[in-house]
Amino acid sequence: MPARPFRVTNDAKCQSGWGCSVTIRKSYTLAFVCFAGCWTLFLAGAPRATAQMGGPPADAQSASVHAIKGDPARGKNLFEQNCSSCHGVDASGDEGPDLHGVPRSLGDAAVENIIQHGIRGTAMPGFFELKPADAADIVAFLHTFDESTAGAVTGDPQAGKAIYQSSGCSGCHMIDGQGGSIGPDLSRIGDMRGPASLKQRLIDPGANLPQNGTGFYSSKWTEYLMFRAVQKNGQPIEGMRVGENSFVIVLKDATGRFHSLWKPDLRSLAKEPGKSLMPSFKNTLTSKQMDDLVAYLMSLKRAQ
Amino acid sequence: MKTTLYAMAAAVLLSLLPARSLAQRPVTYDQLLHADDTPQDWLMYGGDYKSQRFSRLTQINRDNVKNLRAAWIYQPNSMGEAPIESSAIVEGGVMYITEPPSTVTALDARYGTKIWSWSPRMPARLYTIGVHRSNRGVAVYGNTVYVGTLDCHLVALDAITGAVKWDVHVDQNDQGYSMTGAPRVLDGKVIMGVSGGDVGIRGFLAAYDAKTGKLLWRCYTIPLPGEPGSETWGPSMKGVGGGGTWGTGSYDPDLNLIYWGTGNPAPDYNGQDRPGANLYTDSLIAVDPDTGKMKWYFQFTPHDTHDWDSIQVPVLFDADLDGKPRKLVAFANRNGFYYVLDRVTGKFVAGRPFVKQTWAKGLDANGQPIMMPNTEPTPQGQLIFPDGHGGTNLNSPSYDPQTKLFYVSTRETGAYTISGRPRVNFPDFGGGGRMNLSGDDQYGAIRALDAVSGERKWEYKILAPAEVSTLSTAGGLVFAGSKEGDFFALDAETGKLLWEFSAGGSDCEANPITYEIGGKQYVLFASGNAFIAFSLP
Repeated sequence: MPARPFRVTNDAKCQSGWGCSVTIRKSYTLAFVCFAGCWTLFLAGAPRATAQMGGPPADAQSASVHAIKGDPARGKNLFEQNCSSCHGVDASGDEGPDLHGVPRSLGDAAVENIIQHGIRGTAMPGFFELKPADAADIVAFLHTFDESTAGAVTGDPQAGKAIYQSSGCSGCHMIDGQGGSIGPDLSRIGDMRGPASLKQRLIDPGANLPQNGTGFYSSKWTEYLMFRAVQKNGQPIEGMRVGENSFVIVLKDATGRFHSLWKPDLRSLAKEPGKSLMPSFKNTLTSKQMDDLVAYLMSLKRAQ
Repeated sequence: MKTTLYAMAAAVLLSLLPARSLAQRPVTYDQLLHADDTPQDWLMYGGDYKSQRFSRLTQINRDNVKNLRAAWIYQPNSMGEAPIESSAIVEGGVMYITEPPSTVTALDARYGTKIWSWSPRMPARLYTIGVHRSNRGVAVYGNTVYVGTLDCHLVALDAITGAVKWDVHVDQNDQGYSMTGAPRVLDGKVIMGVSGGDVGIRGFLAAYDAKTGKLLWRCYTIPLPGEPGSETWGPSMKGVGGGGTWGTGSYDPDLNLIYWGTGNPAPDYNGQDRPGANLYTDSLIAVDPDTGKMKWYFQFTPHDTHDWDSIQVPVLFDADLDGKPRKLVAFANRNGFYYVLDRVTGKFVAGRPFVKQTWAKGLDANGQPIMMPNTEPTPQGQLIFPDGHGGTNLNSPSYDPQTKLFYVSTRETGAYTISGRPRVNFPDFGGGGRMNLSGDDQYGAIRALDAVSGERKWEYKILAPAEVSTLSTAGGLVFAGSKEGDFFALDAETGKLLWEFSAGGSDCEANPITYEIGGKQYVLFASGNAFIAFSLP
């Protein structure tokens, strides 16, 4: 059971004056503050302390946000009317997929096109009555969930690259085809995560694991979750879940080897929340070194 | 001369292959009345008018089910549109299925070969908010196949060719009406329900003449101002408010009553504009099929603000209570409670939760919920079990008259329910929403309940909350599936796993059925975009 998330819905915002009368820039800043709490649940990136403080100052965060052309407040209303019955009121997915981070990875124009014309051969209909400006507003609303807006890049990416190379990161992670296969590919990590969450990962890699809405079976599931399985012969296997159904779980161990286990044959199977195959760098890197490393990771983005 | 020779040759060839001819024939009302006497066929949604989903076939049984293997796979062309939710009909070796969104296909049930397929021409812009763009199946009667379409037409197709016999525009899709459920046919009548409750339609059940498509009656689930029940809505909702009828009901020919579940009131998640119980939403209604008059209703969730549509399939069964034989109806509701009602009077007999629920202390002597405080959706989000898809959803349960157990796939999960601004002008209709828990904080299970008391006899746990129908057979088996597309067979008495097959498909909403052709029993499942039939080697 996750902790009950702090949320502010449309109503609360309207009561607090967050509406169409506010300028676009201001409402975006407010949206950031209001939704910071959500990130801790859905993207598991922003550390809770940051969220409760309301995030970094507007100037600092604007550096890591790309230009938003629509009005997220208007977009929230349009989303609630047209999209929420499938994608959930907070766009984190229900019968339809989780949309957090989708404009960030597909690009705004592609998402606006999908909103207006649908995706042929899927349950996603075209919303022909929405004008291009409406679609842009919805996309602006979806951007309020971007984890990459949390925190600010303060370190030196060049110094960070050297730390990446000297700290053994590439033994497990791959960047542009170079490196190991134990941990996730980091080639576009700057598009997917924010500075605050990346730093938190370096300190406590097993905390606040991300929830993936498209991993398996329509729900959000915890990514990189560690399990300990004990086979009938007493032999334990520890690893990260990479696949599961009602009868089988596939674990990836610390060497990258997959173990396909038939659940009814196991003596026990237990989740290990908080654990990770990745070591903590809390005692091996200084805070400044971690900031540099984060700056390097945040520079790894989709080619523009 | 040549033609005659060919015809003679063909006749000789055909006469050599008698075992391979399909034995389809017009389906009579008498056949439908006694559907359980012909277990080689699966004649209707729910298997029979009682919707027990129980088959007397025993060739596949608890001793040999471990040998079950795939006999054929049929893959529709509707890749990705929506998961298959269709429950197939089999008569005389011909299978009638629906494919998402509203296509009807006839297959050779022995090999899965397509015979004909029909798709409606529908507008590019369809209003399907809150509606699965899928279809749950057809009804077959005489030489006709009946289907409801997403754009809210009821269509009669020729069973041999797929040609359209008649096509009735039931209601306006651009006002939110849609059809996804399987029709129910009685003697000369087609009974049909509608989807669209989440955008505030005025829900109804309708009866059409099976031969001509003429409308015979409508039974509305939302009263107009001044009609009985309108006092449960407050002044601002005038004959709108949901109450969809998108499941498929059951029928008792002796009592001549149809039993049909009704959907949630709208706007959902915020009830401030509809003070009162909101009759006849979230209810089981008993309707006289000759007149369309409601004989009784039983409301499960008065003034629902959690999206607990009560469109689950009512299962009719008889049992002795305190030494007296009783006609009963069992209902496992999305709100998390299992109910047993007297199906003559609609009076509450028994009820208890069958999944974790956090909104009611229990049920009172009349079966009405004793509410807990602080269970309404809030702007910040109120965690309530079960979630909006409920303790069980549109998937059908089954009842085995041998074990006297009720088998239901269950969903153990909650959701943060969030109230928003109520909006009551179609198509902008709603009042909030929900935020689901992580998959790692949920699970599913197939449960066997004592049908009379609702007491749990056994459970088989599965990974994700399930939305799969169960099938019981006289072979001592319960067939079911998981959301992830695993099909399996359990021992009906103990719940022990006896057979399993992983079909994948990422969203399995299968309605397993069973039938027999040429002395061989088949079990049909569906997952994702494939129908898979299994038999013994």
